[in-house]
Amino acid sequence: MKLIKSISRMACVALSMSTIAISSSVMAQSKPIQTKSAQDLYQRGLAATCANCHGTDGKGVENATMPVINHLNSEQILTQLKAFKSGERQGTIMPQLAKGYTDEQMQSIANFLGKK
Amino acid sequence: MNRRYFLGQSIATLGAMAMYPAIGRASNLNKAEIIVVGGGYGGATAAKYLRLFSNYTAKVTLIEPNAEFISCPMSNLVVGGSRQISEITSAYSNLSKRHGVKLVKGSVASIDGEKKTLKLASGVTMKFDKLVLSPGISMMMDSIEGLSAANQSGATIQAWKAGPDTVALHKQLASMQDGGVFAISIPEAPYRCPPGPYERACQVASYFKQHKPKSKVLILDANQDVVSKAGLFKKAWAEEYKGMIEYRPQFKVTAVDAKTKTIKFEVQEDVKADVLNILPAMRAGDIAVSSGVANSNGRWANVNYLNFESTAVKDIHVLGDSIQIAPLMPKSGHMANSHAKVAAAAIVAELNGWDINPAPMLTNTCYSFIDAKKVVHVASVHQYVAAEKTFKTVPGSGGLSAEPSVLEGIYAWGWARNIWADSLS
Repeated sequence: MKLIKSISRMACVALSMSTIAISSSVMAQSKPIQTKSAQDLYQRGLAATCANCHGTDGKGVENATMPVINHLNSEQILTQLKAFKSGERQGTIMPQLAKGYTDEQMQSIANFLGKK
Repeated sequence: MNRRYFLGQSIATLGAMAMYPAIGRASNLNKAEIIVVGGGYGGATAAKYLRLFSNYTAKVTLIEPNAEFISCPMSNLVVGGSRQISEITSAYSNLSKRHGVKLVKGSVASIDGEKKTLKLASGVTMKFDKLVLSPGISMMMDSIEGLSAANQSGATIQAWKAGPDTVALHKQLASMQDGGVFAISIPEAPYRCPPGPYERACQVASYFKQHKPKSKVLILDANQDVVSKAGLFKKAWAEEYKGMIEYRPQFKVTAVDAKTKTIKFEVQEDVKADVLNILPAMRAGDIAVSSGVANSNGRWANVNYLNFESTAVKDIHVLGDSIQIAPLMPKSGHMANSHAKVAAAAIVAELNGWDINPAPMLTNTCYSFIDAKKVVHVASVHQYVAAEKTFKTVPGSGGLSAEPSVLEGIYAWGWARNIWADSLS
């Protein structure tokens, strides 16, 4: 009886493991897609912190009298953000806001807003 | 456990897996009814960004009683008479035309968080899977004796929600005789727009300087000191409005007499004025209180800052001025717009079955007009701190203007036009 129980337990573990294996193979197929989409969403959310002043997706309103970033590519945006953060470029609000972001966050923002 | 059970279980598991793409969480985004209540800076932005972040797949309805959006930021310029209300008014129509948000003009009378239904004042019942609640603030009129009666008689106007009252307050100033007194009283923080009352004092003084130079502005503040941009405002009062603006801290209003236009205080002697702008204590909008989400002292809504979901009622996300704020988080339009984006992204992620962003960011930018042209700002960046489950300002970031400038006045209008478009167009 003891033996049957232990075989049964082993079978149970084996089946559970195979279920986990199937689940993780499904996960392995779907997770990267999910992760990529989720990461894109996080990036979009981060870049949206610029939109209040510079327009949705970095497309500012015409004649809005705010420095426009509409025409800048990713590299140009990153250069300016870094210059504001280091103090190389003077300004009113931007030097203060730029210091709130890490270099990685700036790279991510620049990558997103420069793709127009 | 027997073999049949094993088989049954594994078939069930496989079955569930096969069905996962069809009925799983991934499809919830397209099916979910998402309703946004309140079309201010928080609600309008949430409605638009729920559509943007879902690549136009989420069904989003915005319920708002007003026909047009009238901005609170910049409205002090209308009080002071240097700008017209039409210049700070935007249409809601682009939310539906460009972004496919379903607009419902109406007020929400009640919300049943358990049944996930809401009832409009018109009697119509609507079902939701996710509710975004952005009802702004409500004035606690009963906190000051005689204030409700004074408002009803027209003797006092708050004009703390931009609209017809903003214009009416300017008319009161315009019909006041030169040599009169404008008194503005400020409740203890937190209240909507921390620098707003001080900016208003500047705008009224700017108007007096041009049109009624013998008149006076009296600021009666329940707080210990100026709540926001203190140094910059005090400097402007001392230099630009010397002898015209008087600031009195720790003046807590207890009562107002509409007939004699007298203000009474907890400690000090009564004050008489010609135009009274009495701002009482504030709390979350009425519907936040009646729906049970205002679980911080019955005044503000506690939220999970990762997704702005109410800690009291599941699937209700609260934004903007109604929430219990994190440290150094102002109740501002810019901040409400920022809340909305974090909440919209989190709702889209959740309904897609993705993890929500563990490290959201917020910014705040606030411009105050010292006169019709010159402006000062305060700015901040806020990061989510997982260990403390709250937003905190990033050390070393943010700050104030060095001094008032016309350049920042130009940027302030740029900010306004861009944030109106970001929220509504």
